[in-house]
Amino acid sequence: MDERFDLVYRLLDDQIVDVDGRRCGRVDDIELRGAPGEPARIGALLTGRGAYAARIPRPFRNLARKLFGDDIRGATVQRVPWSEVEDVEAAVRLYGRAEDLALGRDDRELQWPFKRLPGG
Amino acid sequence: MKVVLRIALGIIAAIGGFVDIGDVVFNTQAGAQFGYELLWAVPIGVVGITVYAEMSGRVAAVTRRPVFDVIRTRLGLPTGLVVLVASLFVNVLTLSAEIGGVALVLQLFFDAPFTLFALLGALGMVTIIWFTPFEGLERLFGYLGLALFVFVAAALHEHPDWHSVGGGFVPEAKSSTLYWYFVVGLIAAALMPYEVYFYSSGAVEERWTPNDLLVNRLNAVVGYGIGGLLSLGLMVAAAQMFAPAGVVPDHLGTVPLLAQIPYGEAGLVLALLGMLFAIGGAAVDASFAASYSIAQFAGWEWGKYRRPSGAPRFTLAWLVFFALGLGILMTGIDPLELTEYSVVLSVVALPLTYIPVLLIARDRTFMGEHANGPVARVLGWLYMVILVVVAVAAIPLLLATNAGGG
Repeated sequence: MDERFDLVYRLLDDQIVDVDGRRCGRVDDIELRGAPGEPARIGALLTGRGAYAARIPRPFRNLARKLFGDDIRGATVQRVPWSEVEDVEAAVRLYGRAEDLALGRDDRELQWPFKRLPGG
Repeated sequence: MKVVLRIALGIIAAIGGFVDIGDVVFNTQAGAQFGYELLWAVPIGVVGITVYAEMSGRVAAVTRRPVFDVIRTRLGLPTGLVVLVASLFVNVLTLSAEIGGVALVLQLFFDAPFTLFALLGALGMVTIIWFTPFEGLERLFGYLGLALFVFVAAALHEHPDWHSVGGGFVPEAKSSTLYWYFVVGLIAAALMPYEVYFYSSGAVEERWTPNDLLVNRLNAVVGYGIGGLLSLGLMVAAAQMFAPAGVVPDHLGTVPLLAQIPYGEAGLVLALLGMLFAIGGAAVDASFAASYSIAQFAGWEWGKYRRPSGAPRFTLAWLVFFALGLGILMTGIDPLELTEYSVVLSVVALPLTYIPVLLIARDRTFMGEHANGPVARVLGWLYMVILVVVAVAAIPLLLATNAGGG
């Protein structure tokens, strides 16, 4: 991708979809790699409610932390390495499956009661 | 031929799905209290919902982004969160009012307490949603809602004074706050935001592509256009039968009289059937609208094209919203009062969800050749202004008229 690509305009907050078309979070933050003055590259997309608080205006940040939880990598925030991203068009499409990247865990944990019901 | 039939069936469902409890309440009360004078407010609302739905359906078909996806990406997380909370609040109020409407209609069929029917109605709708695919839901409620045309027939049957009807389409400046409260209410009732969330998410559910843009335009223009006739029918019928007698339909049970007076028992049954399914359908739409909003905002899997366990947080969301809606009714609040609050508060939140859709619909980066053309551009901004004016006026008018109570 040589052309200009604006991160906030085109990537931040977008839907993440896995290889099976399963929606598995949004781009809640973006991790850049590279010291100032050096070439930077996207390290990973960050997704999960734990990333919310840091984006909320300061006066409400504590409230947001209580509501959505702290930023705990691997628990409330997942890293999706940029190398896992296949395409950024209508949504951010991944090469792999959600479960292999620890995404959409809450959906999987909530499945069982519905599966037991007829028609579920 | 098959394509034409499919398009027609979709449009018919859109017509039958146009009216909800807010339309019933505001149109009949406006006709009863102001005769034909407020007819002009209906097309303002109907053109508004057409413009908004057409844009959001087009955005969904081209970019596969439903309304709350657009809100999250265009407004960002903090502002989007505020819009989400406001939308969920008014959607749940609306859902609650619609469940209350279903219960009131059921009470007209059978003699039993309101709370029992609210519970049974909600359980019935949850069961139907659980087992019925998306298209089936749209059609079931949309087609049976068409029985509401009995009100249009009733209005024509009573030979309206066409000169006065025509005069009603010319806006008049009045100093009565109640008159302006009804102007806001009528526009707002036609422009309920849940309809647009449902519509645009439905476009994604049905996997629309740019090839479906004609379907989108026809659904929005013809479907909502003819649907608007139902609102006019209710108001004209109320103007003919209620206004001269000084009847104020402050109970939902008064409304079916408009069909019973000219057509007897058959008219009554059609009116009740139409109201039951139109309002029931709106409850389904409102519960989905709320669930789509939260799922799209947070990035959860959503959609009725999945089994309930295939999108579990979305499923849990609509179940919880039904429970909340029912809970609000159990406090003993009057469902019609709740309806008025939900309609007026919805219009206050409306510009917040309309702006991002307008911004993306005109953006060639996302929409390419399908970005707003001259007509959509002019109407889009015109309605931006109208919506802001209506939203600003809504709460003062609600307070000044004591929610239409005078």
